[in-house]
Order: sequence, then C-alpha cells, then structure tokens
Amino acid sequence: MSVCRVRSLSLFGIDALPVEVEVDVGAGLPGFSIVGLPDAAVQEARERVRVAISNSGYKFPTKKVIVNLAPANLRKEGPAFDLPIALAVLAASGVVSEEGLEGMGVVGELSLDGGLRGVRGALSMAEGARREGLEALVLPKQNAPEAASIGGPGVYGVHSLAEAVDFIAGEKDVAPSSPAANGRETAEEPIDDFADVAGQRYAKRALEVTAAGGHNILMNGPPGSGKTMLARRLPGILPPLTREESIAVTKVHSAAGEGGGALVERRPFRAPHHTISTSGLAGGGSNPRPGEVSLAHHGVLFLDEFPEFNRATLEVLRQPMEDGQVTISRVAATLTYPARFTLVCSMNPCPCGYSGDRRRACRCSAGQIERYQSRISGPLLDRIDLFVDVPRLTREELRGSSEAAETSGEIRARVAAAREVQLARGGVSNAALAGRKLRATCALGGDAEALFSRAIDRMALSGRAHDRVLRVARTIADLAGEEDIAVEHVAEALNYRRAVAVEG
Amino acid sequence: MRVEPRVAYLFLSMLQARVGASVVSRLGDLNPADVLALPAGEIAARVKLTEKGWRAFEELKESFDPATVLARLEEKGIGAVTFADEGYPSALAEIPDPPPALFVDGDVPLGPTVALVGSRKASATGIEAARTLGRALGEREVCVASGLALGIDAAAHEGAVEAGGPTIGVLGCGIDVVYPRSNRLLFGRVKSGGGIVSEYYLGEAPLQWRFPARNRIIAGLSDVVVVVEAPEKSGALITARHALEAGRDVWAVPGPFAFAECRGSNALLADGAGVLWDLDRFLEVVAPEAASARLPVEQDAAAGMEPIPAELPEKEAAALAGVGFEPAGVDVVARRVADFAGGVEMRELLSALALLELKGYVTRDAGGAFVRNSIGGPSRNPGGMRW
Repeated sequence: MSVCRVRSLSLFGIDALPVEVEVDVGAGLPGFSIVGLPDAAVQEARERVRVAISNSGYKFPTKKVIVNLAPANLRKEGPAFDLPIALAVLAASGVVSEEGLEGMGVVGELSLDGGLRGVRGALSMAEGARREGLEALVLPKQNAPEAASIGGPGVYGVHSLAEAVDFIAGEKDVAPSSPAANGRETAEEPIDDFADVAGQRYAKRALEVTAAGGHNILMNGPPGSGKTMLARRLPGILPPLTREESIAVTKVHSAAGEGGGALVERRPFRAPHHTISTSGLAGGGSNPRPGEVSLAHHGVLFLDEFPEFNRATLEVLRQPMEDGQVTISRVAATLTYPARFTLVCSMNPCPCGYSGDRRRACRCSAGQIERYQSRISGPLLDRIDLFVDVPRLTREELRGSSEAAETSGEIRARVAAAREVQLARGGVSNAALAGRKLRATCALGGDAEALFSRAIDRMALSGRAHDRVLRVARTIADLAGEEDIAVEHVAEALNYRRAVAVEG
Repeated sequence: MRVEPRVAYLFLSMLQARVGASVVSRLGDLNPADVLALPAGEIAARVKLTEKGWRAFEELKESFDPATVLARLEEKGIGAVTFADEGYPSALAEIPDPPPALFVDGDVPLGPTVALVGSRKASATGIEAARTLGRALGEREVCVASGLALGIDAAAHEGAVEAGGPTIGVLGCGIDVVYPRSNRLLFGRVKSGGGIVSEYYLGEAPLQWRFPARNRIIAGLSDVVVVVEAPEKSGALITARHALEAGRDVWAVPGPFAFAECRGSNALLADGAGVLWDLDRFLEVVAPEAASARLPVEQDAAAGMEPIPAELPEKEAAALAGVGFEPAGVDVVARRVADFAGGVEMRELLSALALLELKGYVTRDAGGAFVRNSIGGPSRNPGGMRW
C-alpha cells in the first residue's frame, strides 16, 4: 500500500484544526495533484514541494502523485502544508519511514532550496497539537520558541526539509525548543514616559483610572493640546499581562502574521489611521485575518480624531465592546476572534478645533459644531466610561512648572496593584462588571449613597450613566486601596461624565 | 388690476423674500395696492429693482394667487397679518422698515415685551444669565422675544417657558421650517407658550441674509432689547442697532474683562446701553408692577451672596477659591489652588469640585470648564447641567 499519512494543522480563526495529509503514489502518467478544498497558495505547493525535494537531494517520484487534505470539507489555505506534503511524498516513496511520523504534527512553508520559512499561528498550532494528543510538533525554527511557550508537545524547530527528514529518521538530534530561546519581546524597550508631559494633571489622572479599570475613555480638546501624546504614553502605565492573557494576545498576533516569534509580554497598543476600512478594523478579507480590534485584545485601541472615522466603520466596534469578541461571516466560513480592548479615542471639539479655547477663536458655526459632534453614534458614546477635556497648555505650563511630574513607573505600580485587587475580587477588570456582579461589588454605603442619589437627580443621570459612574468609582476606590466606595470616590467619578459638548 | 391692500401686502411680502431687499420702504408715495396694477417697468424703476429682482417680480406676478396662498396657510393653522390689517402689532409698525406681512403660528402675545438676544456660541455663564432673565420676566408675565437660535436665544425661550410666561420666537426662515433642527422640541414649547412669527412664507429656506433681516422684527416687537453675551461681530448687535433706530431701550449684561465672547455686549455698555448688573433693579425698570411680590426671593438671593460660605469643608472652600467667574479647566483650577493653598492632589480636587457642583456653588460648562455659579447663589441652578 502506498498511501502515506502525515498529520498537520490548519489555522481557522485563531484556533488550529487537525488536517491529515494523505499521499498516494500510484501507477499512471507522472503527475502531481492536490485535492481537498485547497486554495491557490496550497495549489502552488506542488511546484515548491517538487523543487524543494529535488534540491534537497531526494528524488521526486515519477509516478502519479495524489495529495488529499482531510477533512475534505474544510477550506485549506496558506503555505503551511508544504512540509507535511513533502514528508508524505517522501514517506510514500520510501525515503522516510512511516513509523517515524507516528504521533507527530508537521507544519512549515518550503522555499525552493529546501529551506523552511515561518508560518502564521504557531502558538495556536502547538495548542491544537496538544489538544489532538500529538507528542511532537515539527515546525520551522523561527516559530519554535513561540510554539514552545505554552508547554505541551515537544516542539522541534528545523531549518530545512533535509533536517526534518534526518530528524524523523533518527539520524539527527534536534533539541526540543524552550520558550526562553527568543528574548526579543521580553527586552525592556525604552517607551515614552508620562514625566515628559508638562501639566495636564487632570487628563493624566483620568488615564490612570482608565488603565487601572480597563475603562473606555474619550479625550476632547483642541489640536496641539497633547491628546495623542498622552494616549501614546498609556501603554507605559498599563498593568502587566497575566499568563493567560499573554497567550491569548500572542495567538491573535501570530494568526495575523504579526507575531514576534515569542510570547507577547506587553499589552498591545493599536492606533489605526482614520481611513481604515471596516474589515481592517473588525477583521476579514477572503483569507480572514484578525482586524485591529482583535490585535488590540487585552490592550488599547486608540482611535485618534474619532469623528473622522467612517461612521459605518465605527459601528463594527459595538459587538466587540459588548461581547469581547468579533464574528466575521464570509462565504467560506464564519470566524470568531477575541476582541476585549480598552477604547481610547480623541476628538477635537469642532471642525476647526478651537471651540472652547480661551486664546484662539473658533471659526465654526454652531450648526457645524453640532454636525461634527453628531458624527459619533449615541450607542458608541454610551459605551465610553470617561469623558475628559484636554485644554491647550498655557505658556507657563509649557515652560515646565516647578513641580516634578510623576513617572510612568510610579503610576504603573498603583495601577498594577489596583488591577490585582479587581482580579482577586471578581476575576475581571472593573470595566467588564455588569448586572448582578456590578451591584454586588459597587454597593454604596450611607453617605456615598446619599451623595449619589442627589447627583442622579441634579445631573439627570441615565441608567447607563449611573452604571458608568459606579464602575469608575469602584476603580478609584481600588486605586486608593479602599474596600468600600466612599463619598470622595463617587464625587471624583462624577467629573468624568459626559459633558454637553459631546452629547450624542 | 387693482387689488385690496391685504392682498397687495401679501404679494409684497413674497416679493421681498425673493428680492432680498426692502421693497416697501422704497415705494415712497406709491400706494401698495397699485403695485400689481402698474406696468412692471415703472415699478422696477421706482423701487430700483435689479435685473434679477425684476425677473423675480415678473415670475411672482405670473404665479401669484392670493386664494391658494391663504388656503395653504389655513391648512397648517397659520395666520397671516398684513400691514393693512387691524391686528398688525402696533410697535412693529413704528420701525423704519416694517415687514409687509407677518405669518403667525400661535399668537403674538400682547402686553410688554422684552427681547433677549446674544451669541449662539455663548458661555455657560451667558446661557445661565439668559435663562434666569427669561424665567424672571416670565414670572412677571412679560413676554420674552428672541430668535429661536441656539445658545442665548434658546436659553431665553426656555426660561420663559419654564416660568409659564408668554414668549415669541421670530424666525429667519419660512414659518413652518424648523431651523436649527435640534431646537424642534423648543419650537413646540414656544408655540404653545405664545407664538412663532416670521415674515417668510411656508417653506422658505434659512438663507444667510434672512437672519440679520429678522433681527429688525425682534427689535420691532419689543419695548426693550437685552444683549446677554455677544462678541464683536454678532447678530445680537444688529438687533441692538435696529432697536436704537426704532427708539427702543437697549440693555446689556456686563461680561468679564478681555474676553472676545463679551466684547460686543461690553462695547454696548461703553456706548451707553443700560447696565444689567442686578436682576431686581432691571425688573423694577422694565416690569415695575409686580416688584413687591418678589421680596422674599430677594432675601434668599442675598443670603447666598457670601463669597465663600463658612460652612464649606476646608478642601471644598479651597477648591471654590480656585474657581473664577470665567470658565477655567480643572488644570487651571488646580494651579490656582496650588498657588495659595500649597500642593493639591488631583483626585482630591476633582471630588471637591463635584461636591461643589452638587451643592450648586459652581457649574461645569460644555467644555468641562468650571465657573462660579453667579446668579442667585447655590439655591437655584436647575439648568446648565446635563449628563
């Protein structure tokens, strides 16, 4: 019998599903065909595999070679099947022993000289291999540290087809990769520090609350007030990723082909330009890839110049902001990517940017301002917890005041402690509190309750706004290290409510 | 063809809306009723119509059918008062260039009328002042006239409606056109509390030149015009000029020093307008009859006059001292507080400011800036705050 099987994995969304590569080398006119819903990249594997086998010093069988990718109903895409197909062909022609391939998963893209190129989603593949009960995973060397970082099957990184053949035959020893093999991401990169920003203590405090509770924030201010500068410094004060979060983030980035070859250790910060398309933001394409919302999973999605974004594009934010995931339906398949992010947006108060500015007159008519502000839909505004006005700095503030600003490190320490409290209490950040959990964790006592009911009357808070204030007050109390929400915490939270200027 | 005067004025009204210039004031000794009878060339020469105006005249003459015009109004429940009618407001008839016809949705309230006008992009202080003035006038049954625009106009109407007083909105567009759209709820309230008037027929668009023109009607309908807050180039100043030309009193609310937003209204004061620095004195002059009924409230207001009340907790007192009469952002307040009370934690300042806002000492404006609650002290502040 000349049918040989090699087990492989295919990326589907951010999860890897098992695929069996079957090769039959039989009698007939010499030929090479692939069946089992392959896409163009998989079809082209024929040429790569044929040449790579020859260039590695083996002989490509001059028989009829048929490759089947099972299950046949799953659409296969990408070049990651090159290596399993090549190994299956070699096994069918007797170069590689089938026993050697037992319990082994194989993925990798071949280059014409028989070398191996990296693939997308190595971490997900390792996870899939573990789920399938495979004992070993052979994949390109550069993907090995990432795949090894979840712990599971032995991960063996190889450089070329020949090395893979030797390893399977037992002629060459390849040491299993360890997660620490690649230290690029873990190295401390210099990042922007909050101490560099003069003044803006109000906005800094709001960002501290945002970072601690994972709340969504909208910064409103004239051009040059430092909104973008402040937002870019937010990653420096975000709490560290937990291990599960880190794996989830790495899976998404790897599936998008943006992985750095190791576990992502820092919360992602994504700042797409406002011309971004709907599928760029939500994910999609004929070969679906995660969009910016998913790449910002467990991190920050920064939308600068919020009203300039296409309104229809922004509407896709609603599902992920509600469910923490985004579902993309395409002809080929329906995929779900995780997307739990902190939304940070900035906007000018009006088209010219100077409405409300003390030192420069606004050139916009009242109607223009209204139209500009109504470009953001109400339901989206409803999901934003903190609204902050960022005024332009005065000359004295720009020159640098005498008081030294806090460094990101100091703020980060407070933020990390507050986040730990939240995770220990309910397992989620305060931003994700809802329903009964919200009421239980944000119960107000005596004075705070009295103040809050007064605020509800005086400031005409809606039901949603009510919950927002509670969540933010909870975070402020956590930052202060208090178990109960006190009057001053509620009072501070009231400052971050939506001003009339951004009424939806 | 000679027609009755009412129809002639209706025709002139619609002609003026198209030509964009006053036709009536150029008629001279010509009887309006003859306009439709005389040859077009002679009319055009008399009222100095441009070529475009001439064409508009010809077209309108061709299509003008008074029965249809009135029937369409009736269908919508809108009245028409022409210069020839008994019901034409006598005060309006006195101005140099009265509109030939006035379309009325609701009623034109009789009795004393005060116009409250100002910037569409007014500050929280200005909005608050307009609302308070509107309410105070409403309580005394003085009709508040304004232009139903955003900002001061809207606040003035709202104040009058809140107090259950009469109010009248003068439009710069067709009588059935709601502009700006966001004021549509207010349109309804003004209609039921008094009326909406316009010199423009159904469906006329809110063209730019029509707003300065409608300001002469606001001035003409009023006995007194109050400019609440206006920058140097403001329609409110046009209203004030029309008021002076028509011999009406002009008052202005003083604004802070060196603010572009208040330069127009402050310049009026420099030119001799009435200084509206105290609500009760103003009311005594404008609506004297009911003054005695309001004495208890005055005592209330006096009680809140203390700059920084002694009963405030230390942190709130410090924060209040950092808030000025002009809107200032939180960072500015923080710097001022730091200047005289040493360093202040941002979180402490924020909670103090929110507590002060709840107690009614300060107001947070649209831009998130804080300002002292100037009028009436902490006891009265229902508006100015929305979520």
